[in-house]
Amino acid sequence: MRLIFILLLLWITPLYATDSLTPIRFGLTAVVPTENLRFLDQWSHYLEDKIGRKVEFVQRKSYREVMDLLESGGIEFAWICGYPYIQSRDTDSLQLLAVPIYRGSPRYHSYIIVHESSPYKRFSDLKGKSFAFSDPDSNSGFLYPLALMAKKDEKPESFFRQTFFTFNHAETVQAVAEQVADGGAVDSYIWEYIAVFQPHITEKTRIIRKSQSFGFPPIVYRPGVDARMVKQMKLTLENMDEDVSGKELLNRLKLDGFGHYTDSLFNEIRALEHTVQSAFTNRTVVQTD
Amino acid sequence: MPISKTKSWPLAIKLSLTITAVVTSVGFLIGVLMVVQDWQRFHTDLGEKALLLSESISITAPKAMLRKDYWSLYLSLKNMASKGPGSRSEHEIVDAMILDANGLVQAHLHPANHPIGLLFSPQNEVDRAIFEQAMVVRTPTVLSSGDFSRDGFQEGVVPLFSDQKYLGVVRVRLSVASLFEKIKSTAVIVLLSILLFVIIGSLLGTIVSRRVVGPLAAIKQGLESVGRGEMTNFSPIPVKERDEIGRLSVTFNQIMSELAEKKMLEEEIAMSEKLVALGRITAGVAHEVNNPLAGLLNCIDTLRQHPNDKALIDRYLPVIDQGLHRIKDIVHNLLVGLKIEESVEMISIEQVEKLHDLVLAEIGERDIEIIWNNATDKALFIPGKTEQIICNLLKNAIEIIPESGVVHFNMHQEGIHLVIEVSDNGPGVASTIRNQMFDPFFTTKPNGTGLGLWVVYRLVQSMQGVIEVESEVGKGTTFLIELPVIQRQAA
Repeated sequence: MRLIFILLLLWITPLYATDSLTPIRFGLTAVVPTENLRFLDQWSHYLEDKIGRKVEFVQRKSYREVMDLLESGGIEFAWICGYPYIQSRDTDSLQLLAVPIYRGSPRYHSYIIVHESSPYKRFSDLKGKSFAFSDPDSNSGFLYPLALMAKKDEKPESFFRQTFFTFNHAETVQAVAEQVADGGAVDSYIWEYIAVFQPHITEKTRIIRKSQSFGFPPIVYRPGVDARMVKQMKLTLENMDEDVSGKELLNRLKLDGFGHYTDSLFNEIRALEHTVQSAFTNRTVVQTD
Repeated sequence: MPISKTKSWPLAIKLSLTITAVVTSVGFLIGVLMVVQDWQRFHTDLGEKALLLSESISITAPKAMLRKDYWSLYLSLKNMASKGPGSRSEHEIVDAMILDANGLVQAHLHPANHPIGLLFSPQNEVDRAIFEQAMVVRTPTVLSSGDFSRDGFQEGVVPLFSDQKYLGVVRVRLSVASLFEKIKSTAVIVLLSILLFVIIGSLLGTIVSRRVVGPLAAIKQGLESVGRGEMTNFSPIPVKERDEIGRLSVTFNQIMSELAEKKMLEEEIAMSEKLVALGRITAGVAHEVNNPLAGLLNCIDTLRQHPNDKALIDRYLPVIDQGLHRIKDIVHNLLVGLKIEESVEMISIEQVEKLHDLVLAEIGERDIEIIWNNATDKALFIPGKTEQIICNLLKNAIEIIPESGVVHFNMHQEGIHLVIEVSDNGPGVASTIRNQMFDPFFTTKPNGTGLGLWVVYRLVQSMQGVIEVESEVGKGTTFLIELPVIQRQAA
């Protein structure tokens, strides 16, 4: 019995001793195309080379699960949507690290899409139809269409016949392309990304509304992460466009690079949230279980 | 026996046709059974597969339905239906859907035609009937399109429950099209096998029938040659196996060879008998003619030495005359026996009556009584040869009687036959020599030529008559002759 205890001690001790060997955990959400595991491996190797620590990408189904991991200390960094960012930023539960630069600016849009063969031309045409949201914590995939309805003093339950969440922008595009839903709301970056690599899917959809621009889904870190590591990660990401392999990886992501931006970049999303909140007095309406 | 109209197909063809027909029908029956059974088994299997697929969906469906997670429901159907590159599934999912308790579409494999949240709309009457059934089933069930066609399907219907509350139904429909193809290829294989069977069966039939019929045909040929009397040029049937046919062939070959041997033996006997008869005739002629010739030559020598001796001439001339007459008689009788002319000369019965007197004269002083009984029609005419037969028989009877006796002569008509019976109470003929009685130059009398009975025999034979002899040593002999001559006269 004593022997086992000693052995246990011997086994546990190194875990604490070798802090540099514990991986940096990096949460990913559906704001980036996450199906390409080979790409993620290459990216994690790239980051490992630059930082000198093992980098592990962590994926979950919903934004909420990644946010929970971030808040509970299960991950150090995460690439999240602007909407959960402003929700958590305003309570100081996370910090902005870097913002991807997409087509020259750190901004993107929300696309309201329908099937290419459908007769719908405006968002209002979708009244009484079925609609696919991406994620309940998504700005482009949920908050934006919610705001559109709020302006008409409508709620999803009353405006649409059926709604559902795909928890993934790419699957929202698929749901519309396959006519499971009459319409859907997606991240413009993801739609354009699919248009490059799987054009046969986006060809079956038609954009009927493009939103104003919003701050691009940012990379955040949780408070309490070693400042040196944060700095290293920030520098590594912001300098990715300066070396060949980094450029290669950025090209794969169809991004120009990562930049330093202030929190004010997400003010449009804050305004959108305000619109929705004032329309729906009870915020739980937008929550799903 | 009247022969009914018989079918003239050769046994070989009938046999091989029968074998082929049997093989074909058996093959066809088995083939049809196989195909039907295959179809039933595949069809049931397909239903079970559909049910299994529905059940797999039904495990996660209730939770997703309660959460209104239409996307998950749709993905579960789509993933089930999608065929990966390594998919071994050979059945096409033509339809799959999840409906709620009211028949509203919760998910459909073809969402464009069946939007979620709307009432499911059947495409046709069959669809409607199946839909209505599907909405009332409360246990996993297989519903079938029922008809045997390419467009048929098997549908697995699994009702969904959550805490015993009925939520709706999962329906997965599999097409029988691939089954149809499978059955079609099976049927083709079965047909080809039947064809193969037929070919093999025909070949087998031909071989068997040849094997069976070949020896039979040879036996038939052999029997036909027996019927024609040609037994010697029969070639034996080759015997290959020791079965019934083989043994039959062996037996037949034996019979044929024995028949041929017998025939050859008979021919040899006949030939040697002919030679014997010829020898006897030659010996008889030599003996009968030579005997008087010696005396005659002697007489002629003596007369030559004493040409002027009148007494010698008077004494020897009658002797020469007698001897030459005897030779003449012998030659004449021999000619009669050897060469019976087809004489058409007819004589009246009166001519026969004259023989009575002739015989009486012949008897002369001897104590022989003739009992004459001629019961024939007095106006009857008979062939001239009959007179010679009767004359010879009567002479024979008189000569055979040593001192005294009785000779019976009876003649009457029996239908077309003239029946002549001549009997004596002479010494009779021993049974040992009875079959030589009619041979030429065979005689028991000291002065007989041995040609009398032979001539009778030849004459009766030439008239297609029958001659019978009854004789007992010490009691006498009876000759009975039947001549079929009356008809000719009547005509």
